Amino acid sequence: MMYWTWAVALLIGLIAYPGTPVAGPITFNSALPVAEGMSILRSQVKLTRKSGDTTPAGRVLNVTAAPVVLAYGASSKLALFGVLPYVDKRLDMTTGGTRIRRDAQGIGDALFFGRYTVIQVDKPGDTLRIAPFAGLKTPTGSHTQSDAFGLVPRILQPGSGSWDPFLGVALTRQTLDWEFDAAAKYRFNTEASGFTFGDEARADASFQYRIFPRTIENTGVPAFVYLVLESNLIWNGKNRSLGVTDPNSGGLTWNLAPGLQYVTDRFVLETAIQIPAIQNLNGTTLESDWVWTAGFRWNFFF
Amino acid sequence: MRIFRFLLIVGLLLAAPIASVAAQETGVSSATIQVDGLSCPFCAYGLEKHLKKIAGVEGVEINMKSGKAIVRLKPNVQVDDAALKTAVKKAGFTARSITRP
Repeated sequence: MMYWTWAVALLIGLIAYPGTPVAGPITFNSALPVAEGMSILRSQVKLTRKSGDTTPAGRVLNVTAAPVVLAYGASSKLALFGVLPYVDKRLDMTTGGTRIRRDAQGIGDALFFGRYTVIQVDKPGDTLRIAPFAGLKTPTGSHTQSDAFGLVPRILQPGSGSWDPFLGVALTRQTLDWEFDAAAKYRFNTEASGFTFGDEARADASFQYRIFPRTIENTGVPAFVYLVLESNLIWNGKNRSLGVTDPNSGGLTWNLAPGLQYVTDRFVLETAIQIPAIQNLNGTTLESDWVWTAGFRWNFFF
Repeated sequence: MRIFRFLLIVGLLLAAPIASVAAQETGVSSATIQVDGLSCPFCAYGLEKHLKKIAGVEGVEINMKSGKAIVRLKPNVQVDDAALKTAVKKAGFTARSITRP
């Protein structure tokens, strides 16, 4: 069932390939160029709510994350990225007849990765790029925080404590009127302090269509407004604690994310809301209600 | 004496625009680059910055719709096509052609 779903998602991505215009997707990475010597600062606020607990605990998880991304064009084909998030996680649950809150906040795990453009086909007002990427999630976030009830569960900790490599590939087709992006990524999660998060695989697609201006004047660089629709297919493996697999973890989620982007030559403003279309989760794993994302990008030269 | 002064002023007034036109013809020039792959406002900034970094470039105007970068060159300064093409490549695009008036 899982492989079938992945195959359909990838097929849809390939069929839908007819393109994308500008500035890249909101919920994942594109293959668009970062000019040599140019930097892009990107920041987002992500609010996530998970609930649907089928146990008497009635768990509700709220996560606020604010990742800051710095991209640098080492050359016209090689771009380097660093991501440092701040996270605030709150879990409300009932235990012993009392409603309690467990929470943890702080700097999360930093990501570092490089992306290299291997295919570039440029035409007037049109480009196609394919760029593999690879990187490492580093344990900069704490995984040993405690609250009034003791050590906070690992899923609530700001960091995983582990060094987790990942790799993937991004495809972008961009024209003056629309843009299409697709990306596939796999992260190999490793063990830290007796706990291993399940691996993560995802396949993403994004279509952006310019709604303003309706026609482009034959002068200058106008600002564009894009209507965005994104798809995120995410599979998480089961967690393991001290060698024992947790049956109430991991599963498959397919999100659809409508959004808007305002794109100028210096900055981008964007927002999207990810709504789960399919959730096939293991055991009592909490279901995602929604993820709201808002952010900006700003490009500059040192 | 008055007549001489009058003729001098008239002569200078007539000569000024002629001299200006001559300076434009001999010093000021431009180059138009057809840039392939340019399809996003956010990406245009890198192109403009790289072209402006070239010694001798006075200004750059990008036309997103036509995909053209019009480069104004400083008077009496030579900027060869290779430098312009390298700047376009560094920005992540492809220079299809370069034309000069």
